[in-house]
Amino acid sequence: MSVRLDGTRNTGFSPSRLFARHNGAIIAILVFAFLLGSVDFISPGPLSYFDVSFLSSGGATSALAAIGQTIVILSGGFDLSAGAVISLVNVVLAKSMDPIAASASIFVWTFAGIGIGMLVGAFNGFFIAVLMMQPIVVTLSTMFIVQGVTLLVMDKPGGFVSPDLGAFYLGDAIPGWLPMPIVVIFAVLLAWLWLKNTRYGTALYALGSDPESARAVGVNVTLTKFLAYVIAGGCYGLAGVFISSQTGSGDPLVGNPLLLSMFAAVVIGGTRLGGGQGGPLGTVFGAYILMLVVNILLVLDVSAYYSTIAEGAILIFAVLAGSLTHSSILAQQLRGARARIAAWRAGRLVSQQEDTDRRLRFSSSANGMISAPQAPFLVRHAETLRYALPAYVGLILVVIVTQIWLGRALFNPGYWNSLLVLSSFLAVLALGQGAVILTGGIDLSVPWTIGLCGIVLAGMVNGSDAALFYALPTVLLIACAIGFANGFGVVFLGISPIVMTLATNGILQGVALLYSQGTPDGFSSPMLRWFMTGKLMSVTPIIFFLIAFGVGAVILLGRTPFGRRVYAIGNSPRAAQLSGIATGRTLILVYMLSAFCAAIVGIMLTGFSGQASLGMGDDYLLPSIAIVVVGGALITGGRGHYIGMLGGALLLTSLQTLLAGTTLPYASRAILFGLVVLVAVLALRDRR
Amino acid sequence: MNFGSNLRQIALGVGVTLGVLGAAQAQAADKHKIYLSMSFIGNDWQAEAANMVKAMAAHKSMADKVDLKVQVAGPNANRQIQQINAMVQAGADAIVVFPISPTALNKVVKNACDKGVKVFAYDAEITEPCAYNISIDQEEAGRVTAEWLVDKLGGKGEIVLVTGVPGTSVDDLRTKAAREVFAKHPDIKVVGEAVGMWSQAVARTELSKILATRTWDDLDGLWMQVGCFTANAMQLEAGKTADQLLPCAGEGANGGRIQMLPAGTEVEGAASPYAPLGAQRISYASPPYSGGLALKLAVQALEGADVPKKTVLPLPVVTSDTIKLCQEGTWAEMKSGCNAFQPSLVSNPGWFASIFSDQTPEIGLPAALVGQPED
Repeated sequence: MSVRLDGTRNTGFSPSRLFARHNGAIIAILVFAFLLGSVDFISPGPLSYFDVSFLSSGGATSALAAIGQTIVILSGGFDLSAGAVISLVNVVLAKSMDPIAASASIFVWTFAGIGIGMLVGAFNGFFIAVLMMQPIVVTLSTMFIVQGVTLLVMDKPGGFVSPDLGAFYLGDAIPGWLPMPIVVIFAVLLAWLWLKNTRYGTALYALGSDPESARAVGVNVTLTKFLAYVIAGGCYGLAGVFISSQTGSGDPLVGNPLLLSMFAAVVIGGTRLGGGQGGPLGTVFGAYILMLVVNILLVLDVSAYYSTIAEGAILIFAVLAGSLTHSSILAQQLRGARARIAAWRAGRLVSQQEDTDRRLRFSSSANGMISAPQAPFLVRHAETLRYALPAYVGLILVVIVTQIWLGRALFNPGYWNSLLVLSSFLAVLALGQGAVILTGGIDLSVPWTIGLCGIVLAGMVNGSDAALFYALPTVLLIACAIGFANGFGVVFLGISPIVMTLATNGILQGVALLYSQGTPDGFSSPMLRWFMTGKLMSVTPIIFFLIAFGVGAVILLGRTPFGRRVYAIGNSPRAAQLSGIATGRTLILVYMLSAFCAAIVGIMLTGFSGQASLGMGDDYLLPSIAIVVVGGALITGGRGHYIGMLGGALLLTSLQTLLAGTTLPYASRAILFGLVVLVAVLALRDRR
Repeated sequence: MNFGSNLRQIALGVGVTLGVLGAAQAQAADKHKIYLSMSFIGNDWQAEAANMVKAMAAHKSMADKVDLKVQVAGPNANRQIQQINAMVQAGADAIVVFPISPTALNKVVKNACDKGVKVFAYDAEITEPCAYNISIDQEEAGRVTAEWLVDKLGGKGEIVLVTGVPGTSVDDLRTKAAREVFAKHPDIKVVGEAVGMWSQAVARTELSKILATRTWDDLDGLWMQVGCFTANAMQLEAGKTADQLLPCAGEGANGGRIQMLPAGTEVEGAASPYAPLGAQRISYASPPYSGGLALKLAVQALEGADVPKKTVLPLPVVTSDTIKLCQEGTWAEMKSGCNAFQPSLVSNPGWFASIFSDQTPEIGLPAALVGQPED
């Protein structure tokens, strides 16, 4: 027996090792099987071939695109342009196919689509790999540029995609047995399997795990990164071809909403954000899990208001299922809790020890300070300035252009007043989102935290200034609870921030709908409205608040123990923990801070608009991330300064103000916006 | 008074009860299975339209005929495709849909039609010929409102456009039609243009951006798809008086309608800017009752009536001359011509007030507010 075991070990096969290595993918497959089984069990008839065929085509677009996203994420990157590329390929195909010519070459159009995707990928890759810029800003800019180009190609739904394409991609590979979408996905996965076992595949994982080590052992980091974006672009292109064949026409907005669920698919599939672990197989099942939710909600007849809540719950459940292993964070936390209780019983907890100073005495002058001469201001803050300045330089340039193009900017107090008022929303969000990003996380629950808080506030205040005194604390408390839930999920359940906050966002949307029954009522009180739109010494009062908030934020992040802990966690959670920081508590506080800031924005927006409306926070998610990064913060955490983020908020708002003052069509504005952001952050690139 | 007759009566009673129960059961089985596939539910118009569909299904003329199930697809066309497929698989008789895309659903709708499922699209259109479409003429909406504004300005002035969601057919049709009108009048100058996303909140931020480099005095009029209520509020904040408000062509929000009432009109629950101002306005809307009407037509079609493939709803246009306040907002009251609702009943000024159709006596104000049908 033992001989045979050794034998198997020598050939390199062991079930437990296989499981450990493909943990994420296997759990995704199990969850998928369970959900598919439940759908089959609850729905009246057994699953027929037609059902399978429909399901396979329904999830194929997101699965194909998510495979591309996985490859980028494996390399340690992030690609926000994926959805836009799908739309672009869709409209290009629909615009250029000739409705008169009955047949179309599947080969030619497929490769045209993949080619377009790869071109965009090469654009991304150039800026990210060659110029060493941050993926999130580059791909965000690309997203705007591609969306603009898409609208230039086709400004409204229409066009024609040959039915041949549909017949091929949605048809049967083996009639009655094997639908074509499954074959397409399988082919892509096979190609991946080949790629993974080449030197390139090894390099990709090495790069994602540790770029420095990868470079040190001779991996061509630039080329590996560049190719990751090109290959990913090809996958989005193929997804675009697939959705074109599925819809038979073009729609310039079709791909954009796929973006967020794509990240969820990647994470559910067991790929680690940040890179180096996971793979496309799990992602494919992640994408299908998300698609199955549609069917589950239908067979369970979940009412419309509850559907986003159910979706969020399923998302959390699917990820939690991955926590059933010994090494998961949830298991670790449980073991940790047990150990703590045992220690407490035995009286060995630190807090139960005698309260004496146990610090080591290094020298007699421990209190006298080693008084090194303080470096000059510019030297001390060189790094902060280097990363924060580009946003302000960009701001000045935009204002000068506004002055030349539209006039009445530079010396017009009204212009500066509007600019500051409009920036104030993003400036407040920047602290919350910025703090979360500094710890290496991200908060996607911002939109509906804003929405829910605004709606609750408007409903409670209902035009009465007196009601503000209890409504404000209530709303801010609600926000703290939301932030606590996010932080709890991230810290104790070990759910990745992107999934946890995405799920929270869906749940909050459902709560807001249930609370308002679809029609939010109430309106802001006169005082709150005056605060946002009135005048105090010819300046809108919110600007005074903004200045105080800015000073507070700089002190909070730069001069308090809390701020230093945030940076420490962002640089290395492990090192932070070992140096005695209560990382869990700090992280939860950071998410609470983010929700708190979002609630303030909800209150401000309610005052600004006079009332609250559903979806009022939707336009603030991507900008809140963008300003943090434009302001010089590192999306992986540890670097950034609030002053820079504030500059980012001002830059973005001034740019939008400039564009709104023109009569340029939306498409050109989007392209211009993307280009300016891209150029503005060129100065932020990492030099080596 | 003999015992036998009593017994007979009881037996009869039991029999009748059983019969009624049986009939009820048979009816449940006979009910038309109708699915509603909505888009993104998180905005005011969608939620209001959903309320009206639900109210229509709950009306006493419908309740025993219709088994309505509501599903939300979100903003994602790809998901709506999957959802409609799943509805067909689940045995739908008819599907009422707010199409996220006019073209992307064509194939799945065709597939549904081939299986004998009737597909009714409301508000936005589906271009697949087998689908039934219930909507207003968007080009007419753009043209009529633009012409009104040109008239008001006497063919001369500087205006700002606030459009809807770029890349959608509805926005494209309205804006193009309006532009054509403005192009015919060389003295009308479009000096600013903003993307308003059909939201009062977005309209405010966009207008603020435009006004960062301009003042209200530089402008003569506004053409907006949504946002006149907000624009008027902003002018008041900037120190304008009610009679100085710029003419505004725009949406049918109740807040805007109340502002159109002559200043000094008595309304319950008014608070500036949600108050009568005598604002110069033309107010139009994509009416949220279209979903309810779609459901009603779907039931008629299932019962064998001949329903036309395209129902063009009359454009609900209200101008400062035709504005009239409703006291309660019942369907009967609206039929007699009122078109704005008391702020005490509708506390959200962004709420869409174009809820009257002479084809839908089943649904009135309570339907749009809370999904409660008329008696």
